[in-house]
Amino acid sequence: MIRTIVSIVVALGLILGVSLYELYYVNDTFAFFEEALLSLYDKAEAGLATYEDGTAVQTFWEEKKKSLQIWLPHTAIQEVDYQLYEAVGYLYVHDYKSAIPKIEVVLGMCENIPHAYTFSIENIF
Amino acid sequence: MGLLFIRTTIVFIALLVLMRLMGKRQIGEMQPYELVVTLIIAELACIPMADPSIPLSYGLITILTVFLLHQIVCLIDLNFAKLKAVVAGVPSVVINKNGIDDTQLKKNNLDVSDLIESLRIEGYFALDAVDYALYEAEGTFSALPKKNYQALQTSLPLLLIDEGKFDEKNIALTKKTKGYYLDILKKRNCKDIKRVLAMTVDGNGKVYLQKKGVKYEVFDLGWEKTLW
Repeated sequence: MIRTIVSIVVALGLILGVSLYELYYVNDTFAFFEEALLSLYDKAEAGLATYEDGTAVQTFWEEKKKSLQIWLPHTAIQEVDYQLYEAVGYLYVHDYKSAIPKIEVVLGMCENIPHAYTFSIENIF
Repeated sequence: MGLLFIRTTIVFIALLVLMRLMGKRQIGEMQPYELVVTLIIAELACIPMADPSIPLSYGLITILTVFLLHQIVCLIDLNFAKLKAVVAGVPSVVINKNGIDDTQLKKNNLDVSDLIESLRIEGYFALDAVDYALYEAEGTFSALPKKNYQALQTSLPLLLIDEGKFDEKNIALTKKTKGYYLDILKKRNCKDIKRVLAMTVDGNGKVYLQKKGVKYEVFDLGWEKTLW
């Protein structure tokens, strides 16, 4: 009886702890990533973004995605990869008109991916 | 992960309700919640293991959730009798001193032929060989035989009428006609075959007749020799 109660408390504690940490970590990481992307977007719009600016955002993402893979389906992360790599490629050739829509797609993902893990009826069902 | 916890809990409860509604025959030799755990765990363990795009944490959290739910149900099972009846079910007495209880049979999605099959598996071939028979909550079958039950089953009884319907194949095996048995029923004040819950006859001519809502009766047809 005591063992059962202890196991319930421990399991519930673990689940709640991991869930809250995941919620916080994913939201926080994407918020930082969004900030970096917004700054890149502004620079690209002004025609000032360089390849180095792009790779700086890419490096930040590469670092964060290692731990994000513990929490998110790898397909969602790969999708961000593709769009970001393309955007950086356009910045390399100074093609801002093509880079801006790609950065916008990644910005959209930054909002949608964490939203897919929040508590809501549509996400539960 | 919180979402996974909620989703797993919903699926667990849905499966548990489903198992309870399906009746005892589907369960086998486990409690309903044990079967649910077995069904879910196998899938949960396999999906993240085989698909590298799904984080392993998804599998681990859902398995932990199933473990948590299992422990909660175990706790209920041991400490709350009323809730236990809801979660795990209660035994159903399908044969009592009055004969077959068809209400209990229907509650468990069973019919008379299923009951006879369960009895045969336990070694009782005649319906009147047992005083009580019940399906346990986990789906196993138990019976309390009469003191002299072996003397009551010297020949294999055949089910002739199963819930108001003749079993043509078994009637042919007895080498008698429907009319012969209808006459017997008339003599026993039963003009409508639909009122008969079960009627069996063995090779010695011993009949077990139970009309719906009435205590069973056993009588002999007076056959001169054993027919099978």
